[in-house]
Amino acid sequence: MDINIFRRKKKIVVSVLTEKKVKETPVRCQSCGNLIKYEDLKENLKVCPYCGYHFRMTISERINLIADSGTFSEIDTEIKTVDMLDFKDLLTYKERIKQTKKETGLDCAVITGKAKIGGFNTAVGVFAFEFIGGSLGSATGEKLTRLIEYAKKRKLPLIIVFSSGGERIQEGIYSLMQVAKTIQAVDSFKKSGGLFIPILTNPSYCGTAAIAMTGSIIIAEKGSSIGISGPRITKEVAKQNIPDKLKQAESLLQNGFLDIVVDRYLLKATIIQFLKHYNRRAI
Amino acid sequence: MKYLLPFEKSLKPLYKELEEKKKNWETTNNIEEKIQQELKKIYNNLTAYQIAQIARHPDRPNTTDYINALFEDFIELHGDKKSGDDPSIIAGMGSFKGTTVAVIGSRKGNTLKDMILCNHGMIKPEGFRKIARIVNLASTTFKSPIITFIDTPGAFVSKESEKKGQIEAVSEPILALFKAKVPIAAVIIGEGISLGALSMSIADKIIMLKYSFFSVISPEGGASILYNDRKKSEELASSLKFTAANLFNAGIVDKIVNEPIGGAHRNKEKVIKATGDAINNELETLLKENEKQLKTNRIEKYKKIGIYAD
Repeated sequence: MDINIFRRKKKIVVSVLTEKKVKETPVRCQSCGNLIKYEDLKENLKVCPYCGYHFRMTISERINLIADSGTFSEIDTEIKTVDMLDFKDLLTYKERIKQTKKETGLDCAVITGKAKIGGFNTAVGVFAFEFIGGSLGSATGEKLTRLIEYAKKRKLPLIIVFSSGGERIQEGIYSLMQVAKTIQAVDSFKKSGGLFIPILTNPSYCGTAAIAMTGSIIIAEKGSSIGISGPRITKEVAKQNIPDKLKQAESLLQNGFLDIVVDRYLLKATIIQFLKHYNRRAI
Repeated sequence: MKYLLPFEKSLKPLYKELEEKKKNWETTNNIEEKIQQELKKIYNNLTAYQIAQIARHPDRPNTTDYINALFEDFIELHGDKKSGDDPSIIAGMGSFKGTTVAVIGSRKGNTLKDMILCNHGMIKPEGFRKIARIVNLASTTFKSPIITFIDTPGAFVSKESEKKGQIEAVSEPILALFKAKVPIAAVIIGEGISLGALSMSIADKIIMLKYSFFSVISPEGGASILYNDRKKSEELASSLKFTAANLFNAGIVDKIVNEPIGGAHRNKEKVIKATGDAINNELETLLKENEKQLKTNRIEKYKKIGIYAD
């Protein structure tokens, strides 16, 4: 029995805070429990001013954070998610796509394009956690593959920000195959001398994390949860209790699977450093 | 019959009768026919979840059975030469109808002790790295075709495996198989779930047994994510479209090996032989092709997978 009844139980929150969802009510930090005004939180790059907990960012916030302002231009906008299996869980998949599109304005869980970062031309992909958990579907996989080929053709450094729950269950086997497809594309990009910097944010699970782990330099945001399975599957499958700490970026760094763990404030500066070194390389 | 599946309950009295008759030295033709009829009734209208249950049947022929029956002079290789050896992956060199081949498969174990040792077929990081090592060995040194047998509930989720970099390890066999300049045939013999199965399924030809399945997630796991209720796994199973027939129509699987009514566990020899023939057929055509062409074809094949609007 849990004796410490006063300790707040940690809830698994799976949503991204937006203006629409939090109007004037202050936001409670999931880590320290302090109340924060939403404006203050946004001002602070959605990092809790009390404890440094990194809240999830929306896709547009993320692009603004990483790309130089006004330099991002999207490619492959015509690729859209479709329901190929007539899938139905609590909602039909068709309905779910429609609803998500209405809420977020997105057609797919990833936005790809080119942008300048610190003045350097790059190919950028950003996952949208707000689009069905940022899961990897057929459209997502295709967009990623095309982005990687785009970067390979133009010899651009490739930067992908991951925030995804894994493969999209609603697309069945097709979504699983996207993992193989993308990993292969990354490999041929790397072989051609390309620099691939994946940025793992909270959360990165299963297939998408596997793709990220093939990066040339792997960066993770502080406190991100990274692992082979999300909390529910872990509970379902693992017979032993796996501490949350083991899935945090910091312990992955300790175990030797990440290059750097950074604060959100320093994320862009860190990327620029690598881009500088890459641009200065002796050819 | 040692173990009856939940949907085969109606057979229980028949099997009991059969046993009693056998004890008393009476003729059993009549009752055997009855059993066959009942089986036919059940097996002609199987739901997706029932197929998953057959695929997980403890008596179903497993990788070890296939290796023992189909390969001569099989010798097992151990370890990933980095951190350890994972018994849930059986890999080695063998001779298939006269040609040397590399065999890789997931092992579930026959006895309880083996099952625990093999983690019920859940693959650890060492296992993934072992697959990659054997694939590279076959591709560079032996120049021999690779045959994989898939029967796994997925990657192992545990403290140790997370520590050893499970998430990094899964991509290694995928890349190794893409790079291999030899023919590859993957055979799905039971359950194939998520990244564990994907890591062995990158192949020129995928062969699948009729009552096996290949899915992005286990129906139980998927139900607990989507419905927050494990009991909905039956509903989810039919939505996932993971049976051999579904995947053949989707173009993921190239060949289905037929199973007798009652499943592979009711006629092991026949199914193993049919599987061997199917592998032989595929390998014969693959061996005629150019090595480099094989590799590019394989990459192209996977690049095309996916349905989206554009």
